[in-house]
Order: sequence, then C-alpha cells, then structure tokens
Amino acid sequence: MDETTLLAQYEPKPTGKVVDYERQLFQARFSPCGNFLIASGYDATVQRWDLRGDEVKRLNPCLGHHAWVECLSFISGTERIVSADSWGQIAVWQYTDETPAPVWKNESAHDGWIRAVAVSPDGQWIASGGNDRILRIWSATDGTPHKEWSHPDKIFSLCFHPDGSSLVSGDLKGVIRDWDVGTATVRREIDARVLYQLDKIQECGGVRHLTFDYEGKQLACAGQKTPGGGFSTGFPCVLVFSWESGQQIREMQMGNNDDGFAYDAVFHPAGFVMATSCAFPGKGSVWCWTPADEKAFYDSKSISNGRSISLHPDGRRIALLVSQSANANGRKLVDGVYQGGSARIHLLEFPGPKWDAA
Amino acid sequence: MGTNMSQRQLCKPWEHRYSRRQLLGTMAAGGLGLRSFLQPSVADELAKNDKQVLLIWLDGGMSQLESWDPKPNTEFGGPFRAIPTSVPGINVCELLQHTAKQMHHLAVLRSVCTQDNSHSAGVARINRGDPKNRGVEYPFLGSAVAKLLGPTSSGMPPYVWIKPYSGGFKASDAGFLGAKYGALALGDGKPPDNLLLNKSISAEENELRNELRQKFDERYAVGRRKEWTEANSYVYELAKKLMDRGDLFDESSFTDKDRERYGTHELGRHLLLARRTLETGVRFVKVNSYHWDSHGDNFNACDSLIRQFDQPFAALIEDLHDRSMLNNVLVIVMSEFGRTPKINSHVGRDHWPEAWSIAMAGAGIKRGVVVGKTNDQGTFVDGQPHDIGDLFHTWFKAMGVPQELMQYDNHGQPLPVAHDDCSPISELLA
Repeated sequence: MDETTLLAQYEPKPTGKVVDYERQLFQARFSPCGNFLIASGYDATVQRWDLRGDEVKRLNPCLGHHAWVECLSFISGTERIVSADSWGQIAVWQYTDETPAPVWKNESAHDGWIRAVAVSPDGQWIASGGNDRILRIWSATDGTPHKEWSHPDKIFSLCFHPDGSSLVSGDLKGVIRDWDVGTATVRREIDARVLYQLDKIQECGGVRHLTFDYEGKQLACAGQKTPGGGFSTGFPCVLVFSWESGQQIREMQMGNNDDGFAYDAVFHPAGFVMATSCAFPGKGSVWCWTPADEKAFYDSKSISNGRSISLHPDGRRIALLVSQSANANGRKLVDGVYQGGSARIHLLEFPGPKWDAA
Repeated sequence: MGTNMSQRQLCKPWEHRYSRRQLLGTMAAGGLGLRSFLQPSVADELAKNDKQVLLIWLDGGMSQLESWDPKPNTEFGGPFRAIPTSVPGINVCELLQHTAKQMHHLAVLRSVCTQDNSHSAGVARINRGDPKNRGVEYPFLGSAVAKLLGPTSSGMPPYVWIKPYSGGFKASDAGFLGAKYGALALGDGKPPDNLLLNKSISAEENELRNELRQKFDERYAVGRRKEWTEANSYVYELAKKLMDRGDLFDESSFTDKDRERYGTHELGRHLLLARRTLETGVRFVKVNSYHWDSHGDNFNACDSLIRQFDQPFAALIEDLHDRSMLNNVLVIVMSEFGRTPKINSHVGRDHWPEAWSIAMAGAGIKRGVVVGKTNDQGTFVDGQPHDIGDLFHTWFKAMGVPQELMQYDNHGQPLPVAHDDCSPISELLA
C-alpha cells in the first residue's frame, strides 16, 4: 500500500476518550478478550478498567506488589495476567475478578528489579528476568520453578516466538539472544548494540522491548540509538530483524538525538510497526512504519512522552499511554503540596475496518 | 592594575558586622598571616595538627533517594529496596551494598537544605560553604584547609585534586586567598606533564636552572602583589617535592587485590590513588567524578553510577580504618545538590537542594550515626534543616581548627572562615 492508502486506513484518530490516572504508569495493555485495559505502574499496583460500556469504568486494582511494577503479560487461554515488581516479586492475577487476589505469587522470584516477563504461547510457562542476570521459567499455573540459568548481562526484555520454539531476551548491552528453553542454551545472538553505549562512565540504553509480528517472521526491538547519560538523550529507535536470518531489515530512527527512548512497539496484523517514544515537548512520540518502507507513514508530534502502545484485538483500537511529569528543577508546590507525576491513556482508533483474523 | 582589582573585591562596610574582639584581633594582626596573631600555644597546637581531608565530589548531583536516604515503596521512592547496614536501625539504598557494611564508620546528615538548584551556582556555593556575600570570592574547601592548616609535616602539597580529564595547577579554587592556595590537579590521576627530570639533564644543571628561574621570579615580583607572584615560585617548589615522590603515580605498584577491591573504573582508580596520596601526607585530597546529573533514566543511571562509587568507597573506608588513618582523615561525600523526589517523564530526577544528604567519616566525626531526617515522602526536611555553612563549621571543628582561627585576614579585611549565621552540628561531632 502507498502512504496515502495506509494513512486512509491507519492514521490513529482520537476517540474522545482518555483514561487519567493519578500516578505514573509503565504500560497499559488491552486484554486478549478486548474487554479490559490493564496497566502497571510506579505505585506497586496493577490497575484495571472495564471497556464494555459507553464509559470507561475503573475497577479495583490488583494489590500486593511492593514497588514498581514495570512488566506484565497475559497468560494465553486464561483470564489471568502475570506481573512483576522491582523488589523481585512475581504475581499472577485473575484479572476478571471483582477484587483480584494473587492466584499465586513468589516474593523472592528474583533478587531485585524484574525488568521483563513473557508467557509461552501455550500459556504453560512464564519466563522472567531482570537486573540479577538470571533467566527463570515458572509454571504459569501454580508458580512452580521449572528451570533457571544465568544470563550474560542485565535482562531488559523478553518474549516468546509465536510458535513457542524460542525464548528471546534483550539485554543492557544491546544483545538479543535466541534461547532454546529445553537446553537453556543460546542458539544465536542478534546484534542490536546500536541501542547501547558506555557514555563516559555510565552504561546507557539497552533493548527495552521485544515483540514479534503475528507470523513470527519479524522481530522488533525498541530503545534508543547512541544513548547518552545525563538527560538520557539519543534517537528513539526501533530495529526490525528477519527472524529467519537474524539480519536487520529496518532501523526505524525517529526524532532527534536529544529525544529519548522508544519504550514500546507492536506489530499491526497489516504488517506495520506502531511505536511510541519519550521526547521533549513538541517532538514525535508515536509513529507507524512498514518495515519495507524507508520512512514512517505516520508520525505524530502532538503527544509527548509516550510510554506504551497497545493494539486492541479488533485491530482498530489503540491505547497510547503517556507520562505527564514535566522536568523541573527545584521546588514546585501547588497549594503547598509537592506534586508528583501522573499518567494519561489516550484511546485512539484507526478509521479503517476491523482486522479480519481469518 | 592589581591594586584596583583588589580594592574592587573588598566589601562595603555595611555588608558585614564584627564583634569588637574580632576587630581588635584583626587590627593587631595588621595584615600579617593568620598564625602571626595567634597566641603561641594555639600556633604550636596548630603546627601539630596532622588532620587530613578527603573530599569526594560527585558532580551533577547524586540522588539521595537512591543512596543515603531511601524511601522504599513511597510515591517518590523509586524501584530500589532499602537494605540494613552494619548499624542496626540504619538502612541505605541497596545500591550501596558494600558501603552498608561500613556504616559503623560513617555519619550521614539527611537534613541538608541548601539554596541553589543550578549547577553553575550550586557547585561554587557548596564548595565555598555558601558564605555571606562580602564582595570577595571565597575559597573552595580545599584551599581553605590549605590556608588554615598548611602542608602536613610531609612537606607534600597541601591541596591535590584527582580528577578526570586535564590536570595542572588550578588557582581558581583559592579565591581571595591567592593562587598559591589553589589545587594541584592530577588529570586522570596522572602526574603533571614533564614532572620527572629529563635524563639528559644532570642534577647540577638542574640546580643551575632553578637558580636562574629564581632570579627571574624575583625580578618579576618587583612591583607586584605578593599573593600573585608567590604562586609562580610555589608551583615549582611543589613540583620539586612531587619529583621526589614519583612513586606516587606508579600504578603498577598497586596489588591485584587492591585493583579488585576498588575496581578498575575511573572512580575506583582515583580513590585508590587518593588513598596513596593521603598516605604520602597530602593535607587535602579532592576526588571528582563527573556526569551524575541524571535528568533522564535516573534509575538505570544510578544502578550504573552509584555502584561505581559504592565499591571503592567502601574499600577506602575499610582501608583507612585498617591502617589507623581514619582518626586523622576526614572523609566527605557530597555534590552541589540532591535530586528531585518527583520522577519526570524521562524517568529522571532533576535538581533538588531542598532536602538531601551528605555523608562523612573519620577525624572528629561521630561514627555510625544518621543525623536529621526528611519527611515520609522524602520531599522536605522534617525538623531542623542544615545548610552547607553548618557543615563547614562542623568540619573545621572536626579538623581541630581552633575558634581563634576561624577568621581570614584579607589585607586587613576580616572575613569569617565559615558562614557567621551557621554553627557546628554537634550531633555529628565525636
């Protein structure tokens, strides 16, 4: 499709609905059934919203984490979700319950910050990893430890191949590894080192997100090209690889070298990548790009500081999470109260038809 | 020209107040060096003072919440855990895992509240102790100590600055004290260029060369202010002393165990060199580390940076203690400010002078204590706030600088060494 045709079908449009939350969030995802929006955040909670009515209805949160919940993932074939926090706890929740309690949890699943969880396509296994450089596999059903092995560096992202044959990890140094879970060995490494830099004395960047396309033929990873310290500036960047060859198909570099991270990316069934990035106000933060093309067909500069982007199972609706917490040196009080940041989830929609799963 | 500049630097009469006693004391001093108007007993006591100082300056601002004052599982607490230390009841951030084991040697002030939230103002004012404006440029702490206590009996330079990048003689730290009290900077811990005598020059030739230089210096000094000219010859004297201690810079003489304990990264190497520099008798050693200004991705930055501080700092404290040096060496860890409790949209923390922490150890400092506190959210000081002026008073007292010496004589202008509205923090003093 040419750019005009793509835009006609796939230019995200506001629906007029936004979801505001009083604290900052890391990610907001549509549930596989499409009826819920689930988000994890800085406040040790997993938040839920019911999307079935005319109004978005906030539900009771999942409580029981101790610190930042940076990662969550849905467990296939169930109405359960796994979440993990920065103090090393993993918990599984029935997200359709009125007041969810953990189905199971492990408070010391890792030593410290868990940066990524992934669920096998058959819903049987949960993989987890983080700053302790250990990959662990758990029974999704009851949390029984299944397997673990050491990882060469901090694990920032994980995903399973859609056919379940590989577990893929992305690390601080920009190395993507294709793991054979059965033997706990690396089949091959894929080079995303452009997303890492030792800037003076600080290790910067890393593979912040990994995702496959629907057929498992392409792998995308998100991060920041030539990342720097201080303001953590670099080019928001998504790299797309051929899964078969491991070769890079496209480097999707957006914005300027003083913008920030591309934190999230997702393939649309039509084959393009949607991504969002953190950026200073007035710069691009959400874009759509077909890997075969040399440039994005859509690049919005209207929303800054994107943190996550989720595609509804209908292939039309989008949940774009942004952070609202401006940089500010020194004292900022409102009515004598020190102000923290907050989050807003923009509910967008493609004008084109629903995706036909067939 | 010099006289005019000097006069412009002087403050206006209404800009300061002095006690009659102070004024009389200064008049008696009549523009001579500070020690000249001390009672003999004070001067003798001062001469025996073998206190040394190590200032570790983390430029850009280390986050107090990811180090000395964690607020786990609170709105602004960030992702990290707090861990217990060797002192029951005192917790620090998990990124200080090695330092936590040395907490019984340390004192942490969690109630630091300063004024400036910009680097340009903050660096200078914190290093100078934020004195009242009296129309002069105050010296940085290292220069102040060099002036007040002079070299130790080792004869080594009183003020050495170990820093990344370039070295040289950095006179700007000295302020109105004059260039002589500036810092000898060792760029990346390396000796000054051409420090060691070229092998083609004999000792006799070198002596002749020095005599010629001294004659040039004397001619240059005619008609010029002493504090400007004496620095010229002073740096040559420093160089001569350093030439005798060329072993100071021999990195190969460090043991593998030392390198392992301190780390081979920049701050590790520089703190290891600082240990040796203190051992040779340098009065004041400053170690700078740059790039701590984590406006974006603060938590990954801290995971990278604070661990680079933690490991060698803990090793250094342990070594100073094991070598019975900690009673004599005052160790200070600080920045120009802390970082905002608020986490911005770039997952960073910005500049926050309102409530932050400074750590210290050693000479004259109480051990294993936390003084002051912030509120539950870590946003502001809960209770008595302490400015950097209070800390300067505390540190000078810990170093044994007598009250009679807490005043400079700037060509007849009496100037308090530390902010005259501030005072020592008794809870920090041993």
